[in-house]
Amino acid sequence: MDLTVITNNFKFMAGGLVLTFQLSLITMAGGLLLGIILALARLSSKHWLYYPATFYIHFFRGLPLILVIFWLYFLTPVITGKSLNEFHAAVISFVVFEAAYFAEIIRAGIQSIPHGQSMAAYSSGLTSFQCARHVILPQALRNMTPALVTQAVVIFQDTSLGYVIGLREFLRRVNLVDAREARSVELYLFAGLIYLAFCSTGSLCSQRLENHRQRNWI
Amino acid sequence: MIEIKNISLWYEKSHKVLDDISGTIQCGQTVVICGPSGSGKSSLLRCINGLERFQKGEIIVDGISVQHPDTDIHKLRSNIGMVFQHFELYPHMTVMQNITLAPVRVRKKSKTEAEKKALEILERVGIPEQAFKHPEALSGGQKQRVAIARALAMEPQIMLFDEPTSALDPEMIKEVLDVMIDLAGQKMTMVVVTHEMVFARKVAHEIVFMDNGRIIEKGAGHNFFNHPKNKRTRQFLSRILI
Repeated sequence: MDLTVITNNFKFMAGGLVLTFQLSLITMAGGLLLGIILALARLSSKHWLYYPATFYIHFFRGLPLILVIFWLYFLTPVITGKSLNEFHAAVISFVVFEAAYFAEIIRAGIQSIPHGQSMAAYSSGLTSFQCARHVILPQALRNMTPALVTQAVVIFQDTSLGYVIGLREFLRRVNLVDAREARSVELYLFAGLIYLAFCSTGSLCSQRLENHRQRNWI
Repeated sequence: MIEIKNISLWYEKSHKVLDDISGTIQCGQTVVICGPSGSGKSSLLRCINGLERFQKGEIIVDGISVQHPDTDIHKLRSNIGMVFQHFELYPHMTVMQNITLAPVRVRKKSKTEAEKKALEILERVGIPEQAFKHPEALSGGQKQRVAIARALAMEPQIMLFDEPTSALDPEMIKEVLDVMIDLAGQKMTMVVVTHEMVFARKVAHEIVFMDNGRIIEKGAGHNFFNHPKNKRTRQFLSRILI
């Protein structure tokens, strides 16, 4: 074991970690936004909203993420004539892909609220927007928070797939250091520890939230 | 006043939930609807405030046709309180927030004004000390009284009750019925789906018996109980009155 390889290259690898975080946060925000829209469309009684959203969700849930990244990165230049840079290609593929998963979490969260709740809200004269805003969404959000946090952890791990198109995120940089220094054991153990630390913190949060939710509403 | 004119409601052509129902409920009157489950009682109630759409006929509440395209259904509903079998209190809000939500959002009352009014109503239903608890901390009877308070906070002209005591333990039924009897005494217009025949005898101006989406029989309390005309009504009464 020679840990100097880690300390010497720490700055370089930390830079990759920053990129990994950027990628994760943008994916979460974008995926959540697109996911909410897809979920609402999927809950709609209007066919022209329901069918495209349902198709979209099934389509992307039926594909491996790595394939979506390849498609976007290699097919976009063929179709548009312009190539995408790695970061944009990764962000777009992640958002497009994760939105399908977010959509299902959000849909399930909304559907977990009994129909009687909206009945009660409507019967007091609230509009459907007010009903969603004050009655359904606060409860649905609480129900789906653990699943959303879990999905965030998955996204954090999934960003490592960016390496296939040469994106220099954390794992790719560790890999580059290894190519130069040939210290696989130390480097990959280190990488594993970093992923574990962040992911288990996330999972722990999700579990806490779950317990808290089951215990009380306050 | 509620005028129900020949309404029919079906999910598929073959399955009629309501079949040519008519009736009038005068201001200040209490009408009790009873009948076996699946007879369309709850659906009829939900048609009155537009929570369920019917395919034929017309319902007119205080001169306004419920399903007319020009009707402001939110405004209409804000004048009709509704109480449900399973309370349907909002679990993420305190009792106070449950009661003040609609007055603040729909009636645009100030929060302080709405809260003052809420406390008055909680006093009236006998549970002012529960104002800042969450619904899960309350007993069934208390929950239902909060639900009634929530409906009353909108100062409705009409109150609809959908089996308000069916989900309650026997010892809690009375505390809810007492509140309803009190309301009837104050000349609230009420439509109550219930099997509480003691309540019906006490306050109902008219009792309606429904079966299979039709009105089988209706009559004033005394006549209805003592001289039911229809065989099906007699059968039903003999079962629930033991």
